[in-house]
Amino acid sequence: MKGGISAKAGGAGGAKRGGLEALRQNVLAFPILAWFGLFVGIPMVYVVVVSFLTRDDLGNIVWQFTLDNYRRIADPVYLRIFANSFLLAFLTGVVTLLVGYPVAYTTARLEPKRRNLAIGLIILPFWISSLLRTYGWVILLGNWGIINNVLTALGLIDQPLQLMYKFGTTLVGTAYMLIPFMIIAIYNSVDKLDKSLLEASYDLGAGRWQTFFKIVLPLTIPGIAGGFTLVFIPALGLYFISDLLGGGQTVFLGNLIHTLVNRGRNRPLAAAFSVGMIVMVILVVAICSRVTRSKREGFLL
Amino acid sequence: MKSCKRKEVPVSKPLLSLVNLNKYFGDFHVLKDITLDIDRGEFLTLLGPSGCGKTTLLRCIAGLEAIDSGDILLNGESIKDLAPNKRNVNTVFQNYALFPHFTVYDNICYGPRVKRTLSEGELKQKVREVLELVQMAGYENRMPHQLSGGQRQRIAIARALINQPDILLLDEPLGALDLKLRKHMQTELLQLQKVTGTTFVYVTHDQDEALNMSDRIVVINQGEVQQLGTPREIYNNPRNLFVTEFIGDRNILQVEVLEPGEGTVKVMLGGQVVEARSAGSGLTAGDKAVLAVHKDKMRVACEPGPNSLVAKALSIHYAGSQIRLELAVGQDMETGWVKLTVILYQQSDCECEPGDSVWVSWDADGAVLLPLEPGWQGSVLV
Repeated sequence: MKGGISAKAGGAGGAKRGGLEALRQNVLAFPILAWFGLFVGIPMVYVVVVSFLTRDDLGNIVWQFTLDNYRRIADPVYLRIFANSFLLAFLTGVVTLLVGYPVAYTTARLEPKRRNLAIGLIILPFWISSLLRTYGWVILLGNWGIINNVLTALGLIDQPLQLMYKFGTTLVGTAYMLIPFMIIAIYNSVDKLDKSLLEASYDLGAGRWQTFFKIVLPLTIPGIAGGFTLVFIPALGLYFISDLLGGGQTVFLGNLIHTLVNRGRNRPLAAAFSVGMIVMVILVVAICSRVTRSKREGFLL
Repeated sequence: MKSCKRKEVPVSKPLLSLVNLNKYFGDFHVLKDITLDIDRGEFLTLLGPSGCGKTTLLRCIAGLEAIDSGDILLNGESIKDLAPNKRNVNTVFQNYALFPHFTVYDNICYGPRVKRTLSEGELKQKVREVLELVQMAGYENRMPHQLSGGQRQRIAIARALINQPDILLLDEPLGALDLKLRKHMQTELLQLQKVTGTTFVYVTHDQDEALNMSDRIVVINQGEVQQLGTPREIYNNPRNLFVTEFIGDRNILQVEVLEPGEGTVKVMLGGQVVEARSAGSGLTAGDKAVLAVHKDKMRVACEPGPNSLVAKALSIHYAGSQIRLELAVGQDMETGWVKLTVILYQQSDCECEPGDSVWVSWDADGAVLLPLEPGWQGSVLV
């Protein structure tokens, strides 16, 4: 979406007809363009450039072109990290979709007053620091955490269940952190759904489930794809959740880049990993927006 | 022609019966004690102003709204507790509600497919038949957004008809079309109804549409049935003041009953005595009443004639094929002036200018006399 704004403004600005006129028409777009240029464009270029440079023993960047960083990424050990990260982000998308869809669907069909309350409750956790909320999971899942204490007290288990420091723990934390994005995205597309289509479906003899799978689900795919993008991208990069809940048992891209920059002092290699991550994101966004576009074209009634 | 048709239909149970149907939206009483029988094969129109409950009534029959009391009988069996997908009635929605992600073919197949009533092979044949019926053969692979309003309308009808419903419910199906297409679709819908023999229940607020197409019309206002009858009955013999005002274009004049009688009644209008036909409501001398005369069934002359009133011409408008005369009837300030409009389709013998006195008359048969209802505001000029 951000790309869409800048591309449109840029395209119109670059048009040949009356340069000054085009300039005047797009003058309101300049602040946002400058913003993206300064804080997204330049850092991006910087990362790409650094990924092709080398460093000295102290970790300072040396202006010497190399492909070594990319050669090192291709190492199977590192490729596993890419796979781990992709798997985590993908599963986060799936989990948030499965849990979030019913919530979004029910919310969108509530009466307006209750709907606003529900949306408020979904967004409410954003007011609390995400770090604090992650510690909340530690309190809940730890060996002497609430869940284990309750189960022990009930006599259901003899020794604490190992709930922390697993891939699944990180997945739960990431999904929890990002699920509001999924819910809001799906909510919007369910909300836009023409109610008379559902009525037509019932009228023609379909039951609730048939109506859901034949009408509601296909028509909300743009919302699902949008939500998936919104969840997948941050899930790739959230490193403090896997630090706190995963305990570093599984290494993800975010942790690796964090470590390479702060401890390894190998910024060129970190930059190369970042570029790899960006490519992964672009691929997923491209697939999602393709799905959305092909769907949307048919719905312009 | 109507009476011939009636003879063909054997006396039998009605196809659909609404029995004392009531519906509330919160505290708002939308439908009040609706009782109505619909015969097999008829074209029945629910006519009323917007907000009168006609669409709600249709949705109650379809099962899209639950009713609060009363019953709905289809073929003698109660369907009021059945979900919409278990009722053998289908709806053509006002906005057509075609599924935007399906082709025309898949849209039409939706009903038989979800109910698994036909094999894909039979379906293909069936779809071809209904598409030919609505004159849309060859459009199978189009998407709904590639169709015009009129075409979408036809597909919506085809999608409903393929299920062979006992009743086809149509909710202002022509509302979104332009005038010319609307006239054309009226004829086509009638044709379709005749060919398929399907019972149509049609909702509209357009009286021309209702009068043109229906076997019978139900006039509804504020959730109540005002009158049920053939277009001719509704048009010529309105039963109450609402129907009188809503159907046709009439002068509605407040009068005083002088001599009630069988058939014709003598009344006082603007200080003058005229005759009118009573709608059979027990009026007695001295009662206030309302006289309704079609604007285009009045005559204007330069000399007094039988059953005529003297009036003053206020203004004359020439509008193509018709001439509109605004007249005021009355003698003095005490009785007040009563304003009325006459529409003439040809130049009258009497040439008049604003300010002239003319004699206006009508056949006693063409004028309806109704009791005055409380709260009615007459068209008296002071």
